Amino acid sequence: MSGSEPDKGFFDTIEETFIALILGIMTLITFANVIARYLFNSNILWALEATVFLFAWLVLIGASYGVKKTFHIGVDAVVNLVPTGVRRIMSVISGLCCIAFAALLLKGSWDYWAPFVGRQAFYETQDLPVPFFLVWLKDVFNEGEAYEKLPRFIPYFVLPLSMALLLLRFVQATIRIFRGEQDLLIAGHDADEVDNPVLTDGKSAAGDAS
Amino acid sequence: MLVVLLFALIIGLMLIGVPISVALGLSSILFLVVFSDGSLSSIAQTLFSAFSGHYTLLAIPFFILASSFMSTGGVARRIIRFANALVGHFSGGLAIASVVACMMFAALSGSSPATVVAIGTIVIAGMREAGYTKEFAAGIICNAGTLGILIPPSIVMVVYAAATDVSVGRMFLAGVFPGLIAGIMLIMGIFVYAKVKGLPSQPFAGFREIFDAGREAFWGLFLIIIILGGIYGGVFTPTEAAAVAAVYAFFIANFVYRDMGPLATAHGQNNTSFLRKPQSLLTAFFHPDTKNTLFEAGKLTIMLLFIIANALILKHVLTEERIPQIITEAMLAAGLGPIMFLIVVNIILLLGGQFMEPSGLLIIVAPLVFPIAVELGIDPIHLGIIMVVNMEIGMITPPVGLNLFVTAGVAKMSVLNVVKAALPWVCIMFMFLILVTYVPVISTWLPTTLMGPEIITR
Repeated sequence: MSGSEPDKGFFDTIEETFIALILGIMTLITFANVIARYLFNSNILWALEATVFLFAWLVLIGASYGVKKTFHIGVDAVVNLVPTGVRRIMSVISGLCCIAFAALLLKGSWDYWAPFVGRQAFYETQDLPVPFFLVWLKDVFNEGEAYEKLPRFIPYFVLPLSMALLLLRFVQATIRIFRGEQDLLIAGHDADEVDNPVLTDGKSAAGDAS
Repeated sequence: MLVVLLFALIIGLMLIGVPISVALGLSSILFLVVFSDGSLSSIAQTLFSAFSGHYTLLAIPFFILASSFMSTGGVARRIIRFANALVGHFSGGLAIASVVACMMFAALSGSSPATVVAIGTIVIAGMREAGYTKEFAAGIICNAGTLGILIPPSIVMVVYAAATDVSVGRMFLAGVFPGLIAGIMLIMGIFVYAKVKGLPSQPFAGFREIFDAGREAFWGLFLIIIILGGIYGGVFTPTEAAAVAAVYAFFIANFVYRDMGPLATAHGQNNTSFLRKPQSLLTAFFHPDTKNTLFEAGKLTIMLLFIIANALILKHVLTEERIPQIITEAMLAAGLGPIMFLIVVNIILLLGGQFMEPSGLLIIVAPLVFPIAVELGIDPIHLGIIMVVNMEIGMITPPVGLNLFVTAGVAKMSVLNVVKAALPWVCIMFMFLILVTYVPVISTWLPTTLMGPEIITR
């Protein structure tokens, strides 16, 4: 899909492990909660909130990985009809739109998140306990007053972080398109293209069949 | 009229090659900043609450994961064998068996493309060997695969439930009969075609083979019992059901079918017995196969949920601007009756389905038409099923039909040829859409019988 696909790099491995790990943890926490309810007659109080936050981390951080690997889907009917030169212009414009999107959201995320680490650092999550290695947070952000629950700026940090990553990836992708190293921002749909992202779910199935 | 501008911007961005998610998000942000006094930080908050505020949506990654484990673990092969043993002896038996296999796999998977890939990769090759044309095989699979989102569990139904606050359990139950009817209509179509064309049939496999194959496939098919039984019996929420399904699928794939993970062996040999390698109970969690399956499911989740999250931003903008109310008033003032309204809904969804990914489209359209439907006395569950069937048709009609692309990839055909091949069977799906639209009892009977009448809260 992308013009030059280097071998799996260091960051690819990190990102792939991150995605697999988060999804696995989400599943296990939710499952453990069901088990706890029926076998031990108790609830894991923080399970729901933790899963939901992990969900946000998975998708938002993963979105930038998706840009890197061009697996976001789009409408390629028109861009595939026009000549290469026009397509490149359209793709660069698309890239600029995406950069604008990520930049605006980065600004919004920062505006939203910054108060939580500053004036409103006393805001806490509902159920998440403070893990022992984060106890020092109270001294730095909350004037020494202990947090009963995990302060809200920790899970919400994904917003500025992911949008910054997204911006970076969109800038890189646009540069690649501008240089002619990459064709489109969206996943291709050619018949011979077995690397199609919508197939990912079944690539494994294909492997099983062979 | 500003709304028209908004939608024109979205479509314009999509056509020049902007990813669907960004097209939805950017248009909404620009609209909010330029025409209304929304702040950027409120948009960031909406983006985050797409996850933190929609517990229902959490079911989606788990359903995707369950279906990934099932495909990797070799459930498709076993289901196909079972289906073949059951109906292979009719004329056009292999094609009919493919539809039955798609229906069974649909009961494990909430996605249509996944169904096409899992079943299609195996049966298209099989049908060609048996003397069917490639076009016929691709056309059948492309259509039967759409049942993935109609037969529960279904990702699209989860999205509809999240967008309109109806119960996921009801939606799942509502999908059972329409799913069966759609499958039977396709099978009847194939049967007639096979009689006319004299398509081959296989010898009857015998009851012993049906029993053996059924026993093998049972472990996979039991998943649907867990999901529906668990939700309906009040054992767990749909989201928990999905997570339990994912863990169940993991164990079946690794320890019962053993086609993946530490107990799998090279093709053709018997997989290792668990008793000979009991440490696999621990190693299975860290096996590369497990990581890969998690990663592939994660990728699909990210792609899908990023679209949904951005569609939720758009929904936020539409609600801020009171667009649903304005449209409702305009439509009611125009004297729109239920029958006309359903036609309008069908047309909007069929047109939208040409360009949009189903989940994103539902998030946007459902809040627009839902209040009108409630005013007109249309059952929300019935409306949901109509929408799902529309999405199915959208997936098999050009220019942007997800199933067409996937089938093209699986069958190694050009998209255009798949479109042609699918067309005759799309007509059957259209007939089915009309049936479902105007006979609400098909959708509402089962949930109403099992869970009591739907209470509509305004």
